[in-house]
Amino acid sequence: MTDSMLALITEELSRIAADKGETLPAVGPDSRFLDGGLPIDSLDLATLLVVLEQRTGQDPFRAGFRQFATLGELASLYGADAKAPASGGA
Amino acid sequence: MKAAPPSWIGARARLIEDGREAGWPEIAALADRLEPAFRQGGPVPSNPSPVTALVAALVAAERAGVELRLRRRPGPVAEAGGAEHGFSLLMETSGTTGEPKRVRHDFARLCGRLRGSSGEIEARWLLTYDPAGFAGLQVILTALGSGAALIAAPGAGIAELARLAVERRVTHVSGTPSFWRGFLMALGDDRPPPLRAVTLGGEAADQPLLDRLGALFPDARLRHIYASTEAGALFAVADGRAGFPAAWFGEGVDGVRLRLRDGVLEVLSPRAMTALVEGGGEAGEGGWLSTGDLVEIRGDRALFVGRLDGRVNVGGVKVSPEAVERLLLGVPGVRDAIVRTAANPITGHILTAEVVPEPAVSEADLRARIREAAAALEPAARPRAIQLVGEIPLSAAGKKSRGGTP
Repeated sequence: MTDSMLALITEELSRIAADKGETLPAVGPDSRFLDGGLPIDSLDLATLLVVLEQRTGQDPFRAGFRQFATLGELASLYGADAKAPASGGA
Repeated sequence: MKAAPPSWIGARARLIEDGREAGWPEIAALADRLEPAFRQGGPVPSNPSPVTALVAALVAAERAGVELRLRRRPGPVAEAGGAEHGFSLLMETSGTTGEPKRVRHDFARLCGRLRGSSGEIEARWLLTYDPAGFAGLQVILTALGSGAALIAAPGAGIAELARLAVERRVTHVSGTPSFWRGFLMALGDDRPPPLRAVTLGGEAADQPLLDRLGALFPDARLRHIYASTEAGALFAVADGRAGFPAAWFGEGVDGVRLRLRDGVLEVLSPRAMTALVEGGGEAGEGGWLSTGDLVEIRGDRALFVGRLDGRVNVGGVKVSPEAVERLLLGVPGVRDAIVRTAANPITGHILTAEVVPEPAVSEADLRARIREAAAALEPAARPRAIQLVGEIPLSAAGKKSRGGTP
């Protein structure tokens, strides 16, 4: 599940970057969201979480903030009971 | 002959912007050039160090006895106005749509309010706010007044600010809860800077964030402050808990009296601004001012639960879902639209939208038009995660139910 979550996160990050006229560089589970390496700011990250909720039906932050800094850490917050994302394969 | 610094600039104060350092001699030299022009009114020429230029403009406006209009948008940081009000500041509130409100502040009152960290050894502040906004100016004046160093990088993102905080070993940081959430993420596993003061303001601070900051910076003074552009700085909460003690409704706090009217917090403050230039926030009977913030009492605590006008706080910026919805409804190809607010762990809230397209409009065209229209809004007010839908469900009363997650 985490692999498909990672694929979904990468797909949506690319879309968010493209909407701003930016190109997402190659990313992996250890890429950090806000260390300056990716062309996204905190509003973009906020957007990503909304979109992930729309696509998976899950909100891992419902009970409060959970710390994450990398794509892999975020992916692991989404449990195995997520609806299979529309693309990315399970 | 070199003039001494004004009383609000400590002798050892320094501004460090993008690595360029300015002390009183550099600020004074710039103020000397601005002052003659200010007597006629006019803008501050653009400067690679906008904070230094802003401080020099304050010095020059004070000497010339004129009003200084601060600008939040890109462009000149400030512009001198007339002498009819003497030396005062005209500041823009953070609006989302239409013209921002402008509020006049008496400079001496602004400075009188500040609690310097005077006497603290080697304080190094990081500026996280727009220098021309109310919160940014407070940080600048506090740092200058206490003779500290202020590290600024206007326009920099959170990653750059986090890098600067570590590299410059900053000791004092004031920012919105959204800033702090991003800052913690950007720090990652880096050794955190040696913070002695952690201040949150601009939006309600939530308990999980306060807890995480307390754990990462155990030696820092942790405070969240409550202020509004209309009423100025009102009070600070230092017990590490969200909201504020309900007992303050009886006792008052720091010279400010508080009351609830229909769930809305009203304040009577000796520090309210001297005059409101354009509309809104008028003082009621006896000088009481409505903050527009909804407050609920839970146990011994008063908690902020939203805005009376339906605006929500997105990363420290108050935005109006209704105003954004009106904008979407004006986009060609949009038959109907609803803008909702969703709670968000990064920015507190965020606006999302559902749009019903006109028949025969392509999705790509419509999205491009919406993006173009939304570009006129400041980034915090732009609707995100826009979904195209067949219809917008109405409530039993026949209204769009905007209510998203609380």
